Amino acid sequence: MATATTAERGRRLELQHVSKRFAREGQAALAAVNDVSLTVEPGELLTLLGPSGCGKTTTLRMVAGFEQPDAGRVYIGGDDVTELMVYRRSIGFVFQNYALFPHLTVFENVAYGLRVRRLPEARIRARVGQVLELVGLPGYERRFPNQLSGGEQQRVAVARAVVVEPALLLFDEPLSNLDAKLRVQMRAELSRLQRQLAITTVYVTHDQEEAMAISDRIAVMHRGSVAQVGTAEELYRAPRSAFVAQFIGRVNLVESRVLGATGGRVAVALWDGSLSVPGDGYATGQRLSLLLRPESLTLVPESAKAAEGEMVVPGVVRGRTFLGEKVEYAVEVGGALLQAVTYDPTRRGVVAIGARVGVMCDAAAVRLLAAEP
Amino acid sequence: MRRDPVIAPAVVLIWGAVALFVLYPLGRLLLLTFWNGGPSLDAVRGLLGDWTHRAALVNSLLLAALVGIAGTVLGFAFALLAVRANLPRWSGRALDAVVLLPLISPPFTAAIALIFALGPRGLISYHVFGLTRVNIYGLWGTLLSETLTYFPIAYLTLKAVLANVDANLEDSAFSLGARRWRVFRTVTLPLTTPGVANAFLLVSAASLADFATPLILGGTRFPVLPTQAFLQITGLYDMRGGAALCFLLLVPALAVFAGQRWFTERRGGSFVTVTGKVGAATRVKSLSPAAVLGLAVVCGLVVALVLVCYLLIFAASIVRGLGADNSLSLAHYGHVFSGGLKAVRDTLLIAVICMPVGGLFAVVLGFLVSRTEFPGRRALEFAAMMNYALPGTIVGIAYLVAFNDPPLALTGTAFILVVCYVFRYSLAGTRATSAVLAQIDPSIEEASASLGARRDVTFRRVVLPLIRPALLAGMTVLFIRAMTAISATIFLVSLDWSLVTVRILEGITNLELGQASAFSMLVILLVYLAVAVASLAMRRLNAGSLGQAGTLLGG
Repeated sequence: MATATTAERGRRLELQHVSKRFAREGQAALAAVNDVSLTVEPGELLTLLGPSGCGKTTTLRMVAGFEQPDAGRVYIGGDDVTELMVYRRSIGFVFQNYALFPHLTVFENVAYGLRVRRLPEARIRARVGQVLELVGLPGYERRFPNQLSGGEQQRVAVARAVVVEPALLLFDEPLSNLDAKLRVQMRAELSRLQRQLAITTVYVTHDQEEAMAISDRIAVMHRGSVAQVGTAEELYRAPRSAFVAQFIGRVNLVESRVLGATGGRVAVALWDGSLSVPGDGYATGQRLSLLLRPESLTLVPESAKAAEGEMVVPGVVRGRTFLGEKVEYAVEVGGALLQAVTYDPTRRGVVAIGARVGVMCDAAAVRLLAAEP
Repeated sequence: MRRDPVIAPAVVLIWGAVALFVLYPLGRLLLLTFWNGGPSLDAVRGLLGDWTHRAALVNSLLLAALVGIAGTVLGFAFALLAVRANLPRWSGRALDAVVLLPLISPPFTAAIALIFALGPRGLISYHVFGLTRVNIYGLWGTLLSETLTYFPIAYLTLKAVLANVDANLEDSAFSLGARRWRVFRTVTLPLTTPGVANAFLLVSAASLADFATPLILGGTRFPVLPTQAFLQITGLYDMRGGAALCFLLLVPALAVFAGQRWFTERRGGSFVTVTGKVGAATRVKSLSPAAVLGLAVVCGLVVALVLVCYLLIFAASIVRGLGADNSLSLAHYGHVFSGGLKAVRDTLLIAVICMPVGGLFAVVLGFLVSRTEFPGRRALEFAAMMNYALPGTIVGIAYLVAFNDPPLALTGTAFILVVCYVFRYSLAGTRATSAVLAQIDPSIEEASASLGARRDVTFRRVVLPLIRPALLAGMTVLFIRAMTAISATIFLVSLDWSLVTVRILEGITNLELGQASAFSMLVILLVYLAVAVASLAMRRLNAGSLGQAGTLLGG
């Protein structure tokens, strides 16, 4: 196999109606991935995000070629690779546990893919040197994996994956074995490296913050299917399902119905009152959910009056978490607990548990979600 | 990973070899037993009409049960002492070294030594105690000799089991107010029960298969199946009768084997881990000082008996005739290195050929069954285990039946001896490979594949280096077995290719016990050397010690 040239980098990845079932002993086969179609543009970083068991890792492993889809096709750069063995696909895979070869030095680990491709020794030395420089590990050549810290092992794993200049870079929860601080630092580095190399990348994680920090686009997966694809902002602002809304950020979902709809605005029922929010295509009487992000609920004095486009209801503070730059409250309104966040508590004060307050809701921040069938 | 261009040929190759050298001979054996111009039970029925053969069947089962019980009790005592008594390190090592002796000795060793010690003019029975009516021949002598030979299997098994009992469980029983005996009875013992059952079955299987000891000590009064089958063929040239006796032996052997697998897979397995962390960081208080003392006395006596046996063998090898003419002489060794040199050379050559061939077979098989998917994987795993699980006498006679005539006239060649050892003794390497692979995350291999390596390249560059300890252990076991085995190969030797163990047997039957002792000493020395080299290499591979190799020998 010839080495990939720069032109081959950043190829488009396409999944068409890919499905995978796993046979289970004595039970019906489990659909791990169900009719997934995705496109990752050249040089783009797409994250597969979802809870454990949602099929994200299985999807990634089908892209890599570790698993064969039962149905559907996989294309890399327009070529159908569905039937291709993993070692012919030109991918770089970074494993959750790094999977460094324990019997090889850092140099030999990184050189492995180049040796398999039978590159001349001089080229191998040069390439490995460059890549170790790139991941910030020059001088580590002669160490063994068990002599490295978790973060260093992670970098070696990345170096080993990118040194062969793959058409695709695949990450399977690469940061989950690192501590919280290092995780934040490494994800910035991964992001920088990926932009610099401009390799099309698929990244699997269950951590929504990580996904939002690193991705060009995110595909939220749920029960083997793609629930929604979009940028972090799109997913946060306009989730198309309760699942996505709850998975990306925190949210209060309030059952409601349409009281009336006129010219781009919809009047919806909220806490014995009515609120007029932007929206189209809703019919009077239709059931729906209101999506209230905690930061759009503000705690005000019980006596505060609502301004135009706002609504204030009485509530009682039932729980409180002080987090420094913000305070998270649990407020009981009409028998239900709502999450509310107040930023900059030093300036704005902290409300005591048990206090009676007004909860102010800004109509502009309310999203509508058609009730799911 | 489907559609792999390398796995399929490897699977076909291994299946072909297993079919030819495991299934085919066994098939021929059964055919000879049950087919005489048509399906027939005459051969088996004829056997059961004969008193000697009926007695052999009963004796074999009785002996196996007794040796199983005695060996397990003794092994448990040793294991308790080793794991739970907080012995100083050196004494633990010494215990292991002595216990290892019977495992790696050529057959007959304990038997010869017992004849020297407790025979009609025995050094202990006659010269020390002045007894004249001690009879070492028969059930009790055989039982004693086999127990001494096979209890180390139980010891090694139970040591691992005891070491892996979670100390927290015992500690919590103590914290709930239980005293030592109660903790032992209600926690330790129940947790080790599957391991005990497993050890019992392993020792019973070894006894059931033992051919050498009853041949020497059983005599005509205590016939057992393996010796009867041997005599039927070498004495009466009755192949069909020998095959039928093999069948009688096959049934209980398979039952024991199946039971043992059931225990290790269903129950015992969950208590024994592959890491073999012997002597984990526990401060177990489950043994009272009195109990430790009692165990130490019992085990000390057994150790002393084992050492006396080996000292007697050594003494017999350097005097003219132990007990009769005790003047020093190197005549026996002189004979070993003149007339016996060919057998020594042949044995070494065959052992050395077996190591790489069997080692590679073992690791490839281990890799295939634990890391790949193909139709008939479980069946292959089982079939490849058959020759190991079955008594050597059965395998030897099956090979004799299958490979004595054209087109596959192989008996008497070095080739068939190598084949016999490879298919009989590679299992240790296969198991070690599976155990090592179980500790290596499959993602390591996937990483290699993702970097562009084909399956064979991955095997060569990643898997093989990682399973070097297993390969080494497997090859060591092969060497030891090739140096010490007799039950199967005695049917396959010829004038062209002889074996040291066969010369030992000849020495005994010709009443040249000094010569037999000299041969035995040589084998023990060579094997100890091999174990020492292997454990040194193992330590350099950073992967374990003698204990691990010992465990493999026991399994």
